[in-house]
Amino acid sequence: MTIDPQQQPGLSSALARGMTSRRMSRRNMIKLGGASVGTLSLASILAACSKSSTPGGSNAAPAANFDPATAGDHINFSNWPLYIDKAHGTYPSLDAFTKQYDISVTYNDEINDNSSFIGEILPQLRAGQDTKRDIIVITNGEYLAGLITNGWATELDASRRPNFDANAASWAKSPFYDEGNRFTMAWQSGLTGVGYNTELAHKPPTKLDDLMSTDYFPTGSVGVLQSDAPDLVMINLGIDPKTSQQAEWDEAATWLKKLRDSDTFYAAYDQGYVDDLTAKNLAGTMAWSGDVLYYKIWENQPFDFIVPENGALLWIDNMVIPAHSANPAGALELMDWFYKPDIAQMVTEWVLYMSPVPAVQGLIDEHAKKESGKYADQLAQTAESPMLWPDQALLDRVSLGRNITTDDESKAWHATFDSIWQQ
Amino acid sequence: MSQTTADVPGLIPEGMELPPARKGERALARRRRLAAYLLLFPGGLYLVIGFVVPLIIIVITSLSSGGGLFSTGGATTFTWEFSNYSTAFSEHWQIYVRSVMFAGIATVICIGLAYPMAYWIAFYGGKWKATLFMLILVPFFVSFVIRTVQWNFILGTNGLLFGPLKNLGLLSEDFRVLKTPVAVIAGITYNYMPFAALPLYVALERIDRRLVEAAKDLYASKPMAFRKVVLPLSVPGIFAAVILTFVPATGDYINSVILGGGGPGTTMIGVLIQSYFLVQHEYPIAAALSVILMVSMLVLAIAYARVLGTEDDTIAAAAA
Repeated sequence: MTIDPQQQPGLSSALARGMTSRRMSRRNMIKLGGASVGTLSLASILAACSKSSTPGGSNAAPAANFDPATAGDHINFSNWPLYIDKAHGTYPSLDAFTKQYDISVTYNDEINDNSSFIGEILPQLRAGQDTKRDIIVITNGEYLAGLITNGWATELDASRRPNFDANAASWAKSPFYDEGNRFTMAWQSGLTGVGYNTELAHKPPTKLDDLMSTDYFPTGSVGVLQSDAPDLVMINLGIDPKTSQQAEWDEAATWLKKLRDSDTFYAAYDQGYVDDLTAKNLAGTMAWSGDVLYYKIWENQPFDFIVPENGALLWIDNMVIPAHSANPAGALELMDWFYKPDIAQMVTEWVLYMSPVPAVQGLIDEHAKKESGKYADQLAQTAESPMLWPDQALLDRVSLGRNITTDDESKAWHATFDSIWQQ
Repeated sequence: MSQTTADVPGLIPEGMELPPARKGERALARRRRLAAYLLLFPGGLYLVIGFVVPLIIIVITSLSSGGGLFSTGGATTFTWEFSNYSTAFSEHWQIYVRSVMFAGIATVICIGLAYPMAYWIAFYGGKWKATLFMLILVPFFVSFVIRTVQWNFILGTNGLLFGPLKNLGLLSEDFRVLKTPVAVIAGITYNYMPFAALPLYVALERIDRRLVEAAKDLYASKPMAFRKVVLPLSVPGIFAAVILTFVPATGDYINSVILGGGGPGTTMIGVLIQSYFLVQHEYPIAAALSVILMVSMLVLAIAYARVLGTEDDTIAAAAA
């Protein structure tokens, strides 16, 4: 059984939405210094100094018991802020799971960025202890690779995820960084392309190069997403980032320096670029699809999102069971739960990122037909957006980013790209 | 008659034979010593756990190797790796210079703005002194981060300050301050000004007004009385204000990230350390950057103390 706040008797859709928290992309969170600096304290340092009981690089993920009969009665689920359906202070999709399986879930929206979150749980992981988290959501890339390489991700039992097998999108199955989905199952996904303010841009951009042209954007009005820029630029230079090496990285760095030194450049962002987009400090920027779509569809902002001519970057946020989880069987059941189309629909109608369950598109479309007025229009736009439901033609134009898997690669990557913005 | 150590309570040598009447003094001295230890213990323990231990760990980490996420799982090994320091400094000395420069400019502006304010309140505030002084401290009641975020709205390209001026045609459309060094320095100045105002006010408030009157009686003009009497007597306040502003401002993270974040020429050393710790997980380099910052602040503060005349270098060292 599922619970849909929009369908509760006597409660109009508009009112229900009004009574719930304001939608906001989980990536639209300012990485506030106080919190980040706080984590610089003892935990990270002690993590670095303490003796490792799980040697790095062993790839020896501990075996876990996924027999449903052994599932505990509680799950701790750590995710990014505002990245799940929410109504009246609860999470309907999780409530439905609890009702179905009699397993309670504590949902913590504690992940603000991959690196600092991994740093936070590093002491427990390295000591071979339970992190007190049964599911964490980590973006594909260096930190996810670090979890897998060090044996800190629990290997999943592929025979116990029927909904995933039946309903997962092609892009969510067997991604190159985790063939066979041995350790991960996609939570949501999205594209990094170009978002722009249609009223401030001189004309609609079509290429990534347009970001550095005053024909398209006013002086000092263009933003860059530091973390995704290298991969996105490589894609637009015709380079496959997945197999790229130092020479290609240098090529991308040269392009980024050109953008940094161009008249249109405003700033490079970790996160929080949407605040500047809505404040009209930015006219155009590298952007995440869900952020722009949310403000365009639900806030009626004059924004648009494009996939540049040469392509966009695809990223996937992955559900992972950390090593030594107290309840791996329950965690896998919950992960598979989110691959039921009606449950995935509840999440997607809230977060507006790419669902790993394509059948959700039809369900949202049906939902739109049952509703009326502005809310129906918004649902219809959600169901129709190619950025949420990419067809094969679009998928052919996007690529996942470079998967950093060694310390040497990590050092070279950061030395090449981080220094561009630290001038 | 010269005084002996036995005459001074607390300085009676152990084992010295005393007349029965004076044996109580030895017990009293012991109790006083015990009381001193008891008073120092909680704060001292707190400092040892909260400052000394982390400091030792940071120094050890800065001389370690390893730390990579993949090869060692983030573990470091103490190997007297002094090259971490040369790597950290040679690759990032420009950011140290920038941080010192930003903090220095902000400190000068802070003193320049806070001194006249503190002077007026101290000398002419009358019965409103306490109220006026409280007004300086009002910003402290709002979170440091929130205060800085608000400046985004003030300094925004089309924000509260520049939006109307652009609409009136007084500023060009592409004029901007946010994400520039000016925004970072302005933010640091705003956030640290109360730290400058506090010691300045205390120093000025303590000045004996009769000295100023005496200077005037001796035909000193108002400016001369200020230059010859008030300013020299307020030097300890200026010294404290500079230390309290400059040292934390150099390692500032919040203003650099929120007001400058990602803009050209705005990265300060705190942001770099955060990046090495939390993004790159290169703990040894991050720790080396931290130690370099700490030691350079210590050296600058002690040198400043020597030049400006505080006789106690420990005050400067403590502030650094």
